[in-house]
Amino acid sequence: MQPDDLSTALGPRLGDRLLGVDAFVGTAGRVRFRPEGALDLFRTMRDDLGFRHLSLVGGIDWVDHREVFYVLWSDDVHQYAILSADLPADQPHIESAAPIWESANWHERETWELLDISFDHHPDLRHLLMPDGYTFHPLLRSFKLHEPEELEVKQRSV
Amino acid sequence: MTTPPAAIKPASTPAESYRLTGELPMVDQAAVPFIEIETVRAKEFIPAAKEAFSALLLEQGQSKVIRPTFNWAGRNSLFPLHWGLACCAIEFASAFSARFDAERFGIVPRSSPRQCDLMIVNGTVTWKVAHKLITLYEQMPEPKWVIAMGNCATGGGPFRTAYSVVPGVDKLVPVDIYIAGCPPRPEAMIDGILKLEQLIRERKE
Repeated sequence: MQPDDLSTALGPRLGDRLLGVDAFVGTAGRVRFRPEGALDLFRTMRDDLGFRHLSLVGGIDWVDHREVFYVLWSDDVHQYAILSADLPADQPHIESAAPIWESANWHERETWELLDISFDHHPDLRHLLMPDGYTFHPLLRSFKLHEPEELEVKQRSV
Repeated sequence: MTTPPAAIKPASTPAESYRLTGELPMVDQAAVPFIEIETVRAKEFIPAAKEAFSALLLEQGQSKVIRPTFNWAGRNSLFPLHWGLACCAIEFASAFSARFDAERFGIVPRSSPRQCDLMIVNGTVTWKVAHKLITLYEQMPEPKWVIAMGNCATGGGPFRTAYSVVPGVDKLVPVDIYIAGCPPRPEAMIDGILKLEQLIRERKE
């Protein structure tokens, strides 16, 4: 599968919510989409194109905006595909992929707590790696490493 | 020819005098103190003896018999909690293998905190696992001790400034012995436990 195949398959379904499909080394392509078209894109990728396995959800803090990406695997064509959406830096949120792929549940919890990207309609958006009540989002560029004693005082109050 | 009997030596004690002469020695009755013997029945004697014995135990036994015995037994059979956090747990496990055989010092890892009196924190403690560590510590019966094994448990190690790491397990539970190393070798761990035994021996009750 080539980027053009993805583009022709997704174009009619998504319309202008599809921003383009780039070539990406080792994958079928990198699909850039607007966050409004997330659920349509997820369903199409799983049901029509056969990407039935979501292997990873992650994010990047680009300071002026935030990016969330999904890495899919297809057992039909034995290829990866990447979905990527740009979110605003102020209160970024996107529709949860957990109803489509079960494995998105924990990955989105991790992305939320580390990068402060909120996932709408997530079944169980709790802390995964950090204790309950942890108020920081440590992988943001604005997060400064604390002195241990200072962090300890903050944790004690939790 | 028979040898003549040796000259009879004067007896030095009453018993010897009786043996030599066959006569009971004269005892000065006035010099013997008169002892009044009180006869009691068994059902009166046993409670009185029990009371006297327990009073003696309370007075002498706790400090001279019971506590030293428990101290000796406890320090020679330290049961560490069998839980591993990170790479120090590999060294912890190999300390009980054939080459080092820490069991010859009476150290037997147990799987339940309620059977343990020693917690060896072997690895990086994160804030996520911190309250579980405190729960395990609180489930251990008194008296109990904690060994911080390795640099991470001692002071956070290379992850000291990380956002998720407790900078030293002594922020959570009281620590008796710190073992340096990243990770410490099994000899170092055994040495730490022997140091702890010394500490328990010198403990003032």
